[in-house]
Amino acid sequence: MPRGLAAALLAPLLLLLGLGFLAPLLALLATAVRDPELAATLPGTRAELVAWDGQGLPGEGAFAALARESTAALADRRLGPLTARLNFSEPGLRAALLRVARAGGRLSAPFADSVPALDQRWADPATWQALAAARGPLTSLYLLRALDLTPGAAGIEAVPADLALFRELFARTLWVSLLVTLACILLAYPLAALIAGLRPPWSGIVTAMVLVPFWSSVLVRSTAWFALLAREGPVNEALLAAGLIAEPLQMLGTRAAVLVATIHVLLPVAVLPLLAVMLRLDPRLPRAAASLGAGPWLRFWRIWLPLTLPGVAAGGALVFLLAIGFYITPALLGGERDQLIAWFIAQFLNRDVNWGMAAALSVWLLALAGAVLALAGLLAGDAWRARR
Amino acid sequence: MKAWLGALVALVFGAGVIGASPLAARDLTIVAGGGALQDHMRRTLFGTFGAPVVDTAYDYNVGPIRAMVQARNITWDVVMVEAPDLIRGCEDGVFERIDWSVVNRAKFSAGGTNECGAGAIGWGVSVFWDRNRHPAGPANFQEFWDVQRFPGRRTLRRGARMTLEIALMGDGVPAAEVYRLLATPAGQARAFAALDRLRPNLHFWTGGQQPIELVNNGEVAFAVGFVGRTANAIRGGAAYELRWPTLLYAFDYWAVVRGSPNAAAGMRLIEHITNPAPLLELTKVWPVNPVTEAVANDSDVRARNPLMMTNHQAGGLQIDTEFWLEHGPALEQRFAAWLNR
Amino acid sequence: MPWLILATGPILAFLLAPLLAALVMSLAPTETLTLAPASLSLRWYAEFFTNPRWIQATINSLIVGGGATLVATLLGTAAAIGLHFGRFPARGLLLSILTLPVVTPFIVTGAALFFAFSAVGLSGSLVGLVLGHSVIASPFVVVTVLAALQGQDANLLRAAASLGASPLLALRRVVLPLIAPGVAAGAVFAFATSLDEFIISLFLAGPGQFTLPRQMYATVREYTTPTILAAATLLVALSILFVLATEALRRRAA
Repeated sequence: MPRGLAAALLAPLLLLLGLGFLAPLLALLATAVRDPELAATLPGTRAELVAWDGQGLPGEGAFAALARESTAALADRRLGPLTARLNFSEPGLRAALLRVARAGGRLSAPFADSVPALDQRWADPATWQALAAARGPLTSLYLLRALDLTPGAAGIEAVPADLALFRELFARTLWVSLLVTLACILLAYPLAALIAGLRPPWSGIVTAMVLVPFWSSVLVRSTAWFALLAREGPVNEALLAAGLIAEPLQMLGTRAAVLVATIHVLLPVAVLPLLAVMLRLDPRLPRAAASLGAGPWLRFWRIWLPLTLPGVAAGGALVFLLAIGFYITPALLGGERDQLIAWFIAQFLNRDVNWGMAAALSVWLLALAGAVLALAGLLAGDAWRARR
Repeated sequence: MKAWLGALVALVFGAGVIGASPLAARDLTIVAGGGALQDHMRRTLFGTFGAPVVDTAYDYNVGPIRAMVQARNITWDVVMVEAPDLIRGCEDGVFERIDWSVVNRAKFSAGGTNECGAGAIGWGVSVFWDRNRHPAGPANFQEFWDVQRFPGRRTLRRGARMTLEIALMGDGVPAAEVYRLLATPAGQARAFAALDRLRPNLHFWTGGQQPIELVNNGEVAFAVGFVGRTANAIRGGAAYELRWPTLLYAFDYWAVVRGSPNAAAGMRLIEHITNPAPLLELTKVWPVNPVTEAVANDSDVRARNPLMMTNHQAGGLQIDTEFWLEHGPALEQRFAAWLNR
Repeated sequence: MPWLILATGPILAFLLAPLLAALVMSLAPTETLTLAPASLSLRWYAEFFTNPRWIQATINSLIVGGGATLVATLLGTAAAIGLHFGRFPARGLLLSILTLPVVTPFIVTGAALFFAFSAVGLSGSLVGLVLGHSVIASPFVVVTVLAALQGQDANLLRAAASLGASPLLALRRVVLPLIAPGVAAGAVFAFATSLDEFIISLFLAGPGQFTLPRQMYATVREYTTPTILAAATLLVALSILFVLATEALRRRAA
């Protein structure tokens, strides 16, 4: 086939993915490092701050620009994004800025006196330094805050302990995902081995038993677990009836519920790559080993395991990748301490409307995903690349 | 095969054309919090407007509204928003300024209007419990914190707003001092310390129906939940004890999304649904707390609805919107960090 | 083998139990969720089929699913053919790009699409949903069709060419009929992916564009009625259809 025709066939999908996936992804990454609010809202003030040396207080020009531009921005209703951005890095800055903006044209020169007279925070160099830190065009604020760090005056500092949240969250996401991955591999391995060893029609039937849950939405399965584990739900009902417990168990809102349901959702994902690899295994190899006197454990350890390792790596990587981005299962079934990173990304997007933070958390999550992929690629080695 | 393909293509293009044209003749769309209240609103308020009104529900997340405005693809016209979102949205140009020549500003209660918002309903939270399970219960937040005298689990809203004020009051701070204290680091530390003390007996709720469910199935002994739902349950026969002195309240506002093609009609709709006549109809079926002065202080309405919040607002604490706009992000993050420890 | 069956029996039970439980609970006569209903009732299914919210969600799911399947299958099949026969030096890289949506956490994809589509007015629209779903469904089509192509005799195209057929003619008359079952299987995968998809719909769908999973989420947060389980069971029934369809297609390809 001529290269031109092949390229023409490839082009439409590449275009769709380019516009509909890669470009949005890049835009997301960009949002995590951009700092446009000050430049967009108070350009003159920003120019003054760029020229300022950061010592003491800036000159009259900066104060004048601040008074003039903030008033105009408030009248135009453009001040909001900047106050939100400043308040995020420096709580209390919003009120200080609003006070100046609301003063309107009532302030008069010299502004270096009248502005601090209105709100004494403007006589504090730290306030102006915080403003200058937002001059952009790029910032490390969101990426650092997403790791509980902050660009302090003396370099990168840790955020105060009672605000520290995200490192713990990433750790929890990693830990939960590792647990789930381990459990899925351990459960999927015998299942795949079973299917590989069965003859039709049984192989098809058992495969179907794995595929039907696989092709059911995460929401369908999470909802089923939600109903099952409810206080007045069937599991408690059965346990009470069997006399195993005296009072209904609190199963919803627990880590255990999240783990069980997540394993349930991701188990088929682990089975399929393992099955693919096992089906390709030459059955003569274990048989030959057996005929040479190798017992079942030796056969497993020296033949099955090494040869199925690419499947383990592929299945494990896929499960882990899906687990770290899990949102709905912990949201439905977990308690306060069970939410994963995805929940906070959604919060920052929808409720707090802090898109910088949502993007920054996504960046770190992507980095994690990338690291996992690279690791899996390394572990599985050539077998992985050849199969693709 | 070909016919099926053709039909599918036509379907997608059709849907695409309909979906992608923001200026397509779209009915006036109003959005609120859903549930039974909205069903009643549909009948008494929206349905009596005279022109077709489509209503739909949302979960008070304003992210999508901002996205709409930014994309200039407005699909919602009138929205019920909480006070902090209203003020912030007004500053950000997410909502239109209310056209006070169409909407009569004078008919609203004090504090019931804003540059971009016209008072929709008052809402509040307070302590309640099931009288049948617990004959005696806390009379104020200090007693709510007293697990010796009133043993049992409690539930509070999962979030800093309202919960931190309650924590301070549980620690003995008078209502009038709450916000002044909460603005200081010492005050914030005190609030979190109080929450720490109650934590072993504390469960947090996220959905409005949850406090009722938790009290019903005995999961918690004493709850802080929305008074509207509690009052509605009491009207439906539930044996709840509602502690009005523990009220925290605020207003929700009707706002018009900026750039909406139906903005003018939206203003007229707001004028209509805040008028006494339709609101009176609503108060007959739901213990709503209107912000229209005539209805809120109508003696008949108040007598008919002893559980109406306006009957009890005087003793309650109005949630300070400006405080939460100022300190919200930091306090919410601190709360989330505390919650996850 | 027998011990293997013994060991995996509970695992299979674990996989299927919640789905079967959902079925049983959906047949309850009252709102109580129980595995031992006093009698069997179809009222929740009736509720599902008559409630306007669920009807709208079903229609939306079908429209979006159909649209996404169309786009993903057309573009994905073409891309797979181009990739297979094109003998590009960067074949591995191209394949990686085409399957990138699968390895990107859905929450990140959802957030990215939310930003980008909002900026161009595609959020809160069915078109936006169709595009979003096409993006994540197309890798499945590509991989499936590639597998089908790789299963074909490499000499077929060459034979067709030697008989004087232009590349396009050879494609149309030789390749496509041979890989048709693979393409159909890819289409089924694409439809199932779109039907099941939740996160992207969570961000991109406005109230009028709720798909079935999105509507289920909205409902389960309010109160758990068996209607949700009826919806869940219907979706599981669809999954069974998908599995049977792809199995039948696989047989035809063999």
